[in-house]
Amino acid sequence: MTSLIEIKDYTWRYLYTNQPALNNINLTLEEGLFLGVIGPNGSGKTTLAYSINGLIPGQYHGIKEGTVNVAGKEVEEYDKGALQQQVGVVFSDPEAQFTAMTVEDELVFGMENLGMSLAEIRERLEWVVSLTDLQPLLLKPPYEISGGQKQRVALAAVLAMTPKVMILDEPTSMLDPISRKRVFDVLAKLKKEQNNTIIVIEHSLENLIPLADRMAFMLNGELVLEDETRAFFSQIAMLMEKGIFPPDAMQFFHQLTLNQVYSGALPLTVEEATQSLRANLAQMAGGAK
Amino acid sequence: MSDNQKPYIEVKDLVFRYADGTQALNNINLNIGQGEFIAFIGQNGSGKTTLSKCLNGLFKPSEGDILVDGLNSRTTPIAQMVRRVGYVFQNPDHQLFNSNCWDEIAYGPRNIELAEDEVKARVEEAAKVVGLPEDNFTEHPFFLTKGMRQRVAIASILALRPKVIIVDEPTTGQDSRQSLEIMDFLLSLNQERGHTIIVITHVMPIVARYARRVVAMGSGRILLDGPTDEVFAQTEELAKTYIEPPQITQLAQSVADLGFYPGTLTIDAMVEQYKKIAAKA
Repeated sequence: MTSLIEIKDYTWRYLYTNQPALNNINLTLEEGLFLGVIGPNGSGKTTLAYSINGLIPGQYHGIKEGTVNVAGKEVEEYDKGALQQQVGVVFSDPEAQFTAMTVEDELVFGMENLGMSLAEIRERLEWVVSLTDLQPLLLKPPYEISGGQKQRVALAAVLAMTPKVMILDEPTSMLDPISRKRVFDVLAKLKKEQNNTIIVIEHSLENLIPLADRMAFMLNGELVLEDETRAFFSQIAMLMEKGIFPPDAMQFFHQLTLNQVYSGALPLTVEEATQSLRANLAQMAGGAK
Repeated sequence: MSDNQKPYIEVKDLVFRYADGTQALNNINLNIGQGEFIAFIGQNGSGKTTLSKCLNGLFKPSEGDILVDGLNSRTTPIAQMVRRVGYVFQNPDHQLFNSNCWDEIAYGPRNIELAEDEVKARVEEAAKVVGLPEDNFTEHPFFLTKGMRQRVAIASILALRPKVIIVDEPTTGQDSRQSLEIMDFLLSLNQERGHTIIVITHVMPIVARYARRVVAMGSGRILLDGPTDEVFAQTEELAKTYIEPPQITQLAQSVADLGFYPGTLTIDAMVEQYKKIAAKA
């Protein structure tokens, strides 16, 4: 694998602000990896996303130090629009990105702007519609569908342009648990079938953790921790102290560890937790006999 | 709700249809007592928000009745209803429209035609309860953080001194620490000031931690209504509302055969049970 994204000694300060929004960030991401980014509001997660797809420094005024390199080129070296074909961003408020009167037009809009042939547009539309289950909604206005459907349309519209890197900024913030799961199901399919590099910014960790190869924790503009997912959560005490609350099952096993009745890895899912708990109690029973 | 107490809100055979004929609520029966902390849960579109807007008189029943403090919502002026049941919008920006926080909070009391010195007293009280500093009184609400805007939105409802406060999705877009702050604040309104709190939310760990009663809705009906642990223990019924219990409850259920209670709501409770079960082993 080659590094698709390389960020070196990167600091960004928005104009007229004293504190840098991002401070001395170093991050390397291999192609095909799924990175989960967590951190409190205002910690710099969205600024990082904008820095990777060139909205920063292109559309914002500020002072930049260090380098952000995507697919072998610094973001400033790309022709206008070329970087955005490589890196797609799905915004947390899907309505912010809608422009068309029907879902179908919405999905086609980006591809038309890239100057694709009609045949190719048709082919990709079919692919993206089946991937995100949007067939029944194609003729509806995007503002008349539910929040979960809107977030799937926003995702599909970016996906249709087949960017190498997809960045999703709180893609499920407004959704009920089932709709949330469906968005993550689409992401799981992408990861499995498309080898997309995916970066997801999320507060809700339960759905994110099973998909994430690596996790990053941002705080006050700094990248505090970045590691392979299981190793990342071995720092659970520090994360909790800094206001991150891992899923219940993981917290439960952290308590068992503190009580010195468990010493294994922390489970990432309920299934893992169930197995570990059964094994642990069986061992207790065995040890007592 | 204790049996010897008359419910503060009584919903009887409520049906609600929107003007286009869509039936949003079907045969709702619900009693709500004073001092309860309730979570309304269910999929988007299940009727939670519509029911809330019926409870504060914004929507009138198509069939059936809603009695609040003995007053029928069909015949009681909205100004009387909103003094009893306040509704805080999911997005505070849909509700805030004045150019400074003071006027925002004063809008409700002025609208129900209270004298200006009474308005002043109520604004000051509400601002104090939500922790809005006096420095912010003259500030435009849109310059505050979302958490603070939410507090201004709640203050504007509190100024009407309703017994019941309904808060729609209070933690959307908030990080974990901010979510706990908002919920702790609602809990203090419940425990220290006796307000009945109804929270509409998709976040089950929040429900498990704060709500003493859960009303689960699906397709405009109430499918489950009871103490939080009992509702979450009914996995199959709950699945019909497309809701999964919190992860700790799911874990307890998957090892229920070892003696864990399927209605376990907190990590601490799970640890306590573990200790007992491990000691017996």
